Amino acid sequence: MTELTPANRRFLAFDLDGTEREQAGLNGHTIEQLSDYLDHGRLPADPGIDDSPDCEIALRGLERLRRAQRSLLERDLERESRRDDSWVSSILNNITLEAHAGREIPLTHPSPTARLVVTEGAVRGILRETGDRMQNVFVGRCVLVGDVSVPGTPISIRVDVTVFPGENIPLLADQLRHAMYAALSKYTELVVVAIDITVSDLQSLPEASAHEQENQ
Amino acid sequence: MPGRVREQVASPLDAAADQMLADRARDGDLRAFEVLVRRYGPLMRVYATRVLGSNDETDDVVQESFITAWQHLGTLEDGSAVKSWLMRIVSRKSIDRLRTRRPHVNIDETDAPAPESSAPHARVEVESQTEALARVLAALPEDQRRCWTLRELAEYSYGDIAAELNLPLSTVRGLLARARKTLLRQMEDWR
Repeated sequence: MTELTPANRRFLAFDLDGTEREQAGLNGHTIEQLSDYLDHGRLPADPGIDDSPDCEIALRGLERLRRAQRSLLERDLERESRRDDSWVSSILNNITLEAHAGREIPLTHPSPTARLVVTEGAVRGILRETGDRMQNVFVGRCVLVGDVSVPGTPISIRVDVTVFPGENIPLLADQLRHAMYAALSKYTELVVVAIDITVSDLQSLPEASAHEQENQ
Repeated sequence: MPGRVREQVASPLDAAADQMLADRARDGDLRAFEVLVRRYGPLMRVYATRVLGSNDETDDVVQESFITAWQHLGTLEDGSAVKSWLMRIVSRKSIDRLRTRRPHVNIDETDAPAPESSAPHARVEVESQTEALARVLAALPEDQRRCWTLRELAEYSYGDIAAELNLPLSTVRGLLARARKTLLRQMEDWR
């Protein structure tokens, strides 16, 4: 409690002039050190800080400041999230998909003068959509391994997927592999010798999901 | 919860982890990128507004940041670090914007007297700590506020702040110390 120390001493450590008065008011410590100490959860315990009433007051001030920071951030985020959606569309409208088109994959055509290609990015899109049409699986990264620019060259495909808990992983991977083969033969002429599926991450159900956890 | 806002469009991808979204976006999936824009755009907007000191240029800076992010997603090795990667991009864009606004940032400016607790008592009593913090932050000298924002909102290390702002480490420490002490002094008056 602040009553432990008279008001005039309390301000000493928060004095703006240099660190000498600061250290004098904080048992030899600085606000920066106390702030770092808080960052580390007051560990390892430093009796020189913990046993100093002056430090305790400064630490409480810092904690109060952090609480205020958090609620200010929450308030600002809440306000931002209430904005209309135009800022999102304006960002998306200014994005060029070509950035991730990748290599060009030739397609045969009856006319000798025509040159048809499908981009690597489009093939990855086909693979993702195949996964998205299935239940309880997310397709992540898709890599086409091999020289896709030369027709008929055998290639393999590596796919990262996330599967929801409770699924039969080998069965689901098998279904996904078959669906991907079917989609690839429908839209491309790629000679795919293998689709390697890596289940890279098990994710809990929505709303208790991984990105909730990562913010803790 | 910091960094997270209400989702506006229901999509199964809304529940996906950052890593998955970043991987898909790197492969060219605009829908995954859109989820990232919604997930972290508001935090980036808050952050840019605070660094810039006003929201006049926030739209531009955040938009530029996301366009840069989209173009350079291939350089992001760990997709689960996409949040801090985005924060770094928006930091850089905000600071670039400040530089063009004022080519020669005057460090001496930080020696300007910090605002004393000038608020009338009646106002202090009704004002929440949150509002008071917003007011005091806005009144901080620019260099202090910038350092404080990089440290507290973007979670930069002291060294990273020094590198980003092109300042000696000792100056960064000094600016942060002054910012903290000013905020702490003002807070003494709030309760």
